[in-house]
Amino acid sequence: MRKAYYTLLLFLIFISCKPAIEEPDYSRGEINPEKFVMVGGSHVSGYMDDALYYEGQMNSIAQMLAQQLSLVGMTGFRQPLVQANSVGIGFSGLAAMYLNYKTDCKGVSSLSPVRIASSGDLGILSENLYNASALFGNYGIPGIKLAEMQTTAYAALNPFFARMASSGNSSALQDINATQASFYALFLGLEDVLAYAKSGGTQALPELADFQTNYANVIQTLTANGSKAVIGLIPDVSEMPYFTTIPWNGLNLDSANNNTLNAVYNPLGYYFNVGPNPFMIVDTSANMFGVRQIRNDEYLLLSLPLDSVKCNQMGVLFPIRDEFVLDQGEQIELRSKIELYNTSIKNLATQYNLAVADVKSLVHQLKTGFVYNGISLSAKFVSGGAYSLDGIHFNPRGNALVANEFIRAINSKFNSKIPELNAGSFRSILFPN
Amino acid sequence: MKSRVCIILISLLFALCANSQGFQVNFQGQRQQAMGCAGTAVYTDGASLFFNPGSSALLKESQINIAMTPIFANVLYKDAASSTNFRTENPVGTPFSAYAVFHVKKFEPLKFGMAVYTPFGSTVVWEKNWIGRFALTRLKLQSIFFQPTISYRITPKLGIGAGLVIATGDVELEKDIPVQDSLGNFGHAKLSGKAISFGFNVGIHYDFNDQFSVGFNYRSKVRMNLANGWADFSTPGAIASSFPDQNFTGSLPLPEVLTLGFAYKPNPKMSVVLDVNYVGWSAYDTLAFDYANNSSSLADTKSPRNYKDIFAFRAGFSYQVIEKLELRAGLGFGFSPVPDASVTPETPDGNRAYFTLGAGYQFNKHFAIDISFFYTQVERKATNAETQLSGTFKTIALAPGLGLTYKI
Repeated sequence: MRKAYYTLLLFLIFISCKPAIEEPDYSRGEINPEKFVMVGGSHVSGYMDDALYYEGQMNSIAQMLAQQLSLVGMTGFRQPLVQANSVGIGFSGLAAMYLNYKTDCKGVSSLSPVRIASSGDLGILSENLYNASALFGNYGIPGIKLAEMQTTAYAALNPFFARMASSGNSSALQDINATQASFYALFLGLEDVLAYAKSGGTQALPELADFQTNYANVIQTLTANGSKAVIGLIPDVSEMPYFTTIPWNGLNLDSANNNTLNAVYNPLGYYFNVGPNPFMIVDTSANMFGVRQIRNDEYLLLSLPLDSVKCNQMGVLFPIRDEFVLDQGEQIELRSKIELYNTSIKNLATQYNLAVADVKSLVHQLKTGFVYNGISLSAKFVSGGAYSLDGIHFNPRGNALVANEFIRAINSKFNSKIPELNAGSFRSILFPN
Repeated sequence: MKSRVCIILISLLFALCANSQGFQVNFQGQRQQAMGCAGTAVYTDGASLFFNPGSSALLKESQINIAMTPIFANVLYKDAASSTNFRTENPVGTPFSAYAVFHVKKFEPLKFGMAVYTPFGSTVVWEKNWIGRFALTRLKLQSIFFQPTISYRITPKLGIGAGLVIATGDVELEKDIPVQDSLGNFGHAKLSGKAISFGFNVGIHYDFNDQFSVGFNYRSKVRMNLANGWADFSTPGAIASSFPDQNFTGSLPLPEVLTLGFAYKPNPKMSVVLDVNYVGWSAYDTLAFDYANNSSSLADTKSPRNYKDIFAFRAGFSYQVIEKLELRAGLGFGFSPVPDASVTPETPDGNRAYFTLGAGYQFNKHFAIDISFFYTQVERKATNAETQLSGTFKTIALAPGLGLTYKI
């Protein structure tokens, strides 16, 4: 009896009541991730909320990729970090934005992106963090275009590069190549298409042949000694909230204004009604006055000064200037070029045996919206949950989604098992209390 | 020595285990639990009121039975994409049952019974900040059924019985909302409600001879309507007006169960039982919450469940070692009613096999004590269609039970 009792006791101890955690089976597959460098523009750098600032850098796509690659042997990843308490600085010289109440020209207070400080931290652009014995792993250089990768003395042209350059004479590609990384993630070309799109089509897009030559040169240089790489496709940036937030027909007219506008514009063939109407935009080819109503498939950019629209007749008697509009022709030009660039990227990937991260499809899925671990994500400004307050760069959660896209590409191309990030554990937009 | 071992054993159980369970709880009698949770064609105690009111007609003595079965259950979730693991931190589940069966001396064939039991329930508490927090952080689902019953022994071999089920339910469901305040804290929703509803439990029992018996039992579906639920939201101040605290309505069907049971006694010391259940889970097609005040951020929810009707098989064996002591064992297998797309952290269900052990000791002609032990492991890999949570749930549940019987 006693024996039976002990047998039963032993048995009860051996059947566990907590399911055991399996040993993770991470593996690097065919890549050597020991020294990892990511190359790109502002998106890679950690730029978000319209500034380069510490929290953004700590949640950069490069940082997140590095964190996961460290599970399969990557070490010594360094970023050109700004001070943790800095307000950051953006392309415009302004500080980072956060969401808070803002009173507009009509005295109406509403939630809106607001700058953390009245001016950006210029100190960021006057320091140089280069250290020959601890080279950077994040070569996300805000603003860098493909053609500029080989520009010598590039520090003089781009203060964001100046703070990380090895010398005043170097090119970005020289500095990156000097890292002799064993694995690269490349995400270039986005700054080229953004320059065009953000300027309302007033800046030029690179010629396809130049794009191809320049990217090929980058890839060839960096993979010359056998390093493997993953390359990101260029998303259709016009699917980002910067372009899709301000409604084309946001001109709400009462009957008095309606009468005035009809009196002014009816002779040109434009008619208005009480209620929502299309804004008036500048289009020199439209008629002798160079103005027309915006079409329902054309985009007003987030750079549009909304106070001028609300209180100073912008978009009404003063048509919205070209730099704030991505019109139909410009969209067609943008999309067809992105298509061609991506074809060229895929061809280069085949030629150089690179993994291809389909960031284009991620951005497109965000436009339609999807659910991720119980979180609804979309490209809706602020509430969509993936983009930061500048409407172009992702927030930390969005960066994790992009990093996961790269990880999936690496795993499928190089037979590695690198776990994805739990994007839900990274912050999205923070709302005031 | 004995008591010390017991203490070690019990503290081990408490240390290692927290609890959760499927949504259907099959602990309604210690003898039956010890024998694979089968008992539709036997009349051994008052639990027949639940298993088959028809069998209760054939009980010899008036009696009272009470029992309690703490459930220690643990779920481990492994997220497929990130390979990260998360656990539940469940409190101990406490299904109980109480039965009273009696007859008037002058008219023995007619039995009156009262049963109180907990046939459905679930308590799941996930660890803080787990990956599925926007699907569920905590669920407490409790139901207590009260069942006044009348049964009648038509012949010494044939009994029929029927009970009215008065079902009370209590549900609390909590999850995080993916909106963050300035400190990064997520919003939270707590939905709670109570329901009361009615059903019935009928059965028929027939003894072919001293060796063979058959029983048939039907327990009706009970639809628990939360007519006056309360939704409590906490969200950042700037958007709190989109999430006003308010009433909601919802409903949860508890499925009908059809059971055919067999019992075989090869000799007076031994018995073998077999139950086949058909559970009408297809009643659970949607989990809907209808909020009184919708906003752009707060829409009514309709979560597809699309459960399937399932079969479950239960078998048990008992052997009378000495006159006063009976040892029992059993096993069972149930198909999961939950399709892949509907697997949720509330009911991380899968096909489940289990085994049971137990014993009964008859101190004298009035008083008996029964113990049982239940153990199961369930593994389910699935991607939920609504939340896109994709990973593997591993559940281990064990339940030691204790029951007391007093016969008049």
